[in-house]
Amino acid sequence: MEAESKDKIVSIEKPELIAPPDWKPVIMGILCNWCSYAGSDLTGTSRTQYPPNIRIIRVPCSSRVDPWFIIKALQTTADGVLISGCHPGDCHYISGNYYARRRFLVTKELLKMVGFHEHRVQFSWVSAAEGAKFAQVVKKVTDDVVKLGPLHLYKKENFNR
Amino acid sequence: MDYSNQIRDIAAKLFAEGKIDVFVGYRMSGFDDNQVPVVITDPKETSVLVFTEKSVFNLTNYLKADHTRNKKVGVVVKGCDSRSLNLLLTESQVKRDKLYIVGVACEGVVDDKGNKMQNCMECFIPDAVVFDEMLGKPQGKKDYIVNADITELATKGLIERGKYFEEIFENCIRCNACRHSCPLCYCAKCCIDQETSTLYNGTNTSSSAFHALMTWSLHLAGRCVDCRNCEKACPSHLPLHLLHKQNEKVIYENFQNHLAGVEEGDRGAFYKYSLKDPDDFIM
Amino acid sequence: MARVGVFVCFCGANIADFVDVPTVVEEAKKIRDVKFAIDYKYMCSDPGQQMIRDAIVQHRLTSIVVAACSPRMHEKTFRKALSDAGMNPYLLECANIREHSSWVHQKDKKGATDKAGDLVRMAVAKSIANEQLHEISVPVTKRALVIGGGIAGIQAALDIADARIPVTLVERSPSIGGRMAQLDETFPTLDCSQCILTPKMVDVASHPYIELIPYSEVIELDGYVGNYKAKIRKKASYVNFKTCTGCGACSQKCPVKVPNEYNMGIDKRKAIYTPFPQAVPNKPVIDAEHCTYLLKGKCGICAKVCEKGSIDYKMVDEVIEREIGAVVVATGYDLWDATPYEEYGVGRYKDIINSLEFERMVSANGPTGGVPVRPSDGKVPKTVVFIKCVGSRDKAKGIEFCSKICCMYTAKHAILLHHKVHDSRAYIFYMDIRAAGKGYEEFVNRAQVETGAVYLRGRVSKIYQKGEKLMVRGEDGQLGQEVEVEADLVVLATAVIPDKGNPALARLLGISYDKYGYLSEAHPKLRPVETAKAGIFLAGCTQAPKDIPETVAQASACAAKVCGLFAGDTIKKDPMVSTVNKEFCSGCQNCVKVCPYQAIVTEDIPLGHGAKEMRTVAKINEGVCQGCGSCVAICRSMAINLAGFTDPQIINEIVAI
Repeated sequence: MEAESKDKIVSIEKPELIAPPDWKPVIMGILCNWCSYAGSDLTGTSRTQYPPNIRIIRVPCSSRVDPWFIIKALQTTADGVLISGCHPGDCHYISGNYYARRRFLVTKELLKMVGFHEHRVQFSWVSAAEGAKFAQVVKKVTDDVVKLGPLHLYKKENFNR
Repeated sequence: MDYSNQIRDIAAKLFAEGKIDVFVGYRMSGFDDNQVPVVITDPKETSVLVFTEKSVFNLTNYLKADHTRNKKVGVVVKGCDSRSLNLLLTESQVKRDKLYIVGVACEGVVDDKGNKMQNCMECFIPDAVVFDEMLGKPQGKKDYIVNADITELATKGLIERGKYFEEIFENCIRCNACRHSCPLCYCAKCCIDQETSTLYNGTNTSSSAFHALMTWSLHLAGRCVDCRNCEKACPSHLPLHLLHKQNEKVIYENFQNHLAGVEEGDRGAFYKYSLKDPDDFIM
Repeated sequence: MARVGVFVCFCGANIADFVDVPTVVEEAKKIRDVKFAIDYKYMCSDPGQQMIRDAIVQHRLTSIVVAACSPRMHEKTFRKALSDAGMNPYLLECANIREHSSWVHQKDKKGATDKAGDLVRMAVAKSIANEQLHEISVPVTKRALVIGGGIAGIQAALDIADARIPVTLVERSPSIGGRMAQLDETFPTLDCSQCILTPKMVDVASHPYIELIPYSEVIELDGYVGNYKAKIRKKASYVNFKTCTGCGACSQKCPVKVPNEYNMGIDKRKAIYTPFPQAVPNKPVIDAEHCTYLLKGKCGICAKVCEKGSIDYKMVDEVIEREIGAVVVATGYDLWDATPYEEYGVGRYKDIINSLEFERMVSANGPTGGVPVRPSDGKVPKTVVFIKCVGSRDKAKGIEFCSKICCMYTAKHAILLHHKVHDSRAYIFYMDIRAAGKGYEEFVNRAQVETGAVYLRGRVSKIYQKGEKLMVRGEDGQLGQEVEVEADLVVLATAVIPDKGNPALARLLGISYDKYGYLSEAHPKLRPVETAKAGIFLAGCTQAPKDIPETVAQASACAAKVCGLFAGDTIKKDPMVSTVNKEFCSGCQNCVKVCPYQAIVTEDIPLGHGAKEMRTVAKINEGVCQGCGSCVAICRSMAINLAGFTDPQIINEIVAI
């Protein structure tokens, strides 16, 4: 997705920092294998298009996602994070997403409090049949992060990608 | 609030009856009018024990140490302390039959300047919830109040909050005093110190403190009892309660009014779930 | 020092048209740990796989990255290529540059190529932390447990036993047979239900490989696939089955009368009873809740008349244990109580019955001699109204799903009514007619044509009493007007719901169930007989409403699964399971609480090297662990790791983005 506006994009948490003109957001996605990853594969099979900024990591269940994955991603490579799992009640491992759901809410609110814009870290439930929804979710997250600009809050210094 | 005499008597009696090997309580510091924790093994020393509104420290921190492990221990707990004790019991870090718990119906403790501490002013459960005997008249549970600083922070804008916390994280020197003083931090090797976590951390920057303090507060979420041991121990005077109270508020408001350690058998909010947990923040 | 090989696939034009594959290879070569990178048209083909095998040997590679289609597609294929080359198959990582790049970023070749390069770099970083894993072998006990002795349980038991595998069949009531034993005739053939069922029941009783335990319930199931331990409570029958000849003298003389469950409460049975004449085993049991001797110490007539002295009032429940390798759950169905349909007067008017009650009435061995009668006055009804979809397809009052069998059995009831009462007329209120099986549509046509049954397309809004008759007011949708039928008898086809004990049984077994109580299959399309818990299978209406042919097919499918499970001496399991690092474990047992499969227990180990004092740590049973990782994320000490998705692997991926 091309940088859309001719106005300068600034980092929303630190407006004094301006993004370079060729800046493209990097979004880390963590998808559960049985629902969301399968759904994202369906998006591919259906050839539904979405912006190429997301990089997907596969885990067996959304309950495998530890909040420090999100923290590490924000510290290093990511401008935005998307975590996706099975709909409540449909977890392949019965109850994993119920536990994950609690951790997600508390982590999200804590990140908001310490100064992250709430659209930096987003969550979704995408089932294996929801290829179209996955594309919509990625579009929304990418659009949001483009508007937020690059993330410069609490980044590890001198981190070289 | 002065139960010094009662506690001396109780401790002496327990030693005499052979019910305990160790008593954990408070004594005067010896150089000012503050109190410090004391771990007594000799029955003759029970005379140093005191308990007043200056008995601030959460003593259950000592129950996980090697000098109380597998011994019969007597301990004094206020309301908040007893809740962290409930959690330690459920998490198998102490055995109930090895404890003699002296509960106190606490009227609040004061800081160095003599002012009632903020967590005592907002306290919702001053009476000990687990005890073998109770000192003082129980006052019953009060309504939960959201921490005043959190409420104020919520009114500030994103950038202001970011600057405020960046400064806090900058000042953290990663001394780990907060972890050592917290009763509920007992992991043999803290996850924050393990190699996988320290990768790409940097040292003494706001980034590494961000990682450490965020992870630490998320591990305490649903378990922290707001005893303020961590804040008193922090050499940089960081307002650590902000992180913990924020989590406590989110958990109270969203997860069936869960509060740490109130019920026996509680292990915190993350180790259970409800089908009614909120979902609307998830797309 | 890692030596990673990267293999990028063109996938014909699928990837190559939208991703600049040679650039991806060049970018891969720039990664420090990559020692070999190449592209090929079809990596999954034999030459492609040969390329991988050769490179492993030639370049002494330590891990492999295949950048191609989704790992859900070909991970197994490439893993086999690795093991054929003598390399541990779990040292492979797949970078999904087709479903996740070329197919979804078709208008942005640079974006797609950059992304492909990043995905390769992430996969390389992850693969460096991959460990050599070995499939876990768990021993398997070759005995199956079948819970439920209806046609589903019977068929599964027979199929498994015919494969010379011992089966323990547990049935709650005194006889096997289930619902099918209550039916008169079955659609679409109008076979006599008992006639086709009883030979199978006798086979079960006499089969050398089947242990039939009637009048019992499973009360506990511990363990994991191949290694379950079941506890079964045998209810006291107070009759010595070994000496009893089944002469029936006891039941004849027993003075106590109790509503007969087999006949849906229409008539009465005795306190000592055999459920039906063709019962297997054909031995009576004493219903302890109604027996005068057991309750008050008086009577005792059955003991007096028994020539063999088979009555034993001192019998007690007995709990037995069995070691089991797999479980088939076949607990059947029940009919929904239509009381919420107050407008029909259910419970108020005696002449409103449900379909099983009607079935019992028309059965030759039924309480009314095979002819339907009005419960109010015993007269034979001439006008019978059948109402379909009572409770089913009803979001407001009842149950959203379609109960599948009611359209067919109502047509059958119309035919049976016509056979038993020649001058009767059936009126059937329906919403749709679902006759999708083999010979089903023809059967319904037969009901309509042969019997003169009147099919009225519309719902019934009210039933009220008028004198001796019941007035059924509904809609005739095809005429577009209200219609009232003066009925002698009303039969409701109520929703098919699972047995009430299902939720408790599911929790006992550790499997899930839906909001109606139907037990959950692993995948509705591709795995309809398995559950999410390995080794537990579902057959029949316990999983969803279905007719007899489907039930039998599903039962045989379960048997095939069980036989497959027991085919070797051990079961091979995916090694991506969690393990506890005892050094770091603090014994808090949060992982024990969170594991959905109860795969984690505690063990006591010495406090330190050579110490006498013990401390408690967690222990994961690798045979039960399904590899979800819930325990890993919940462990604050980071003492647990999930093979294949370890913390080092994931952190490597995150920082390599």
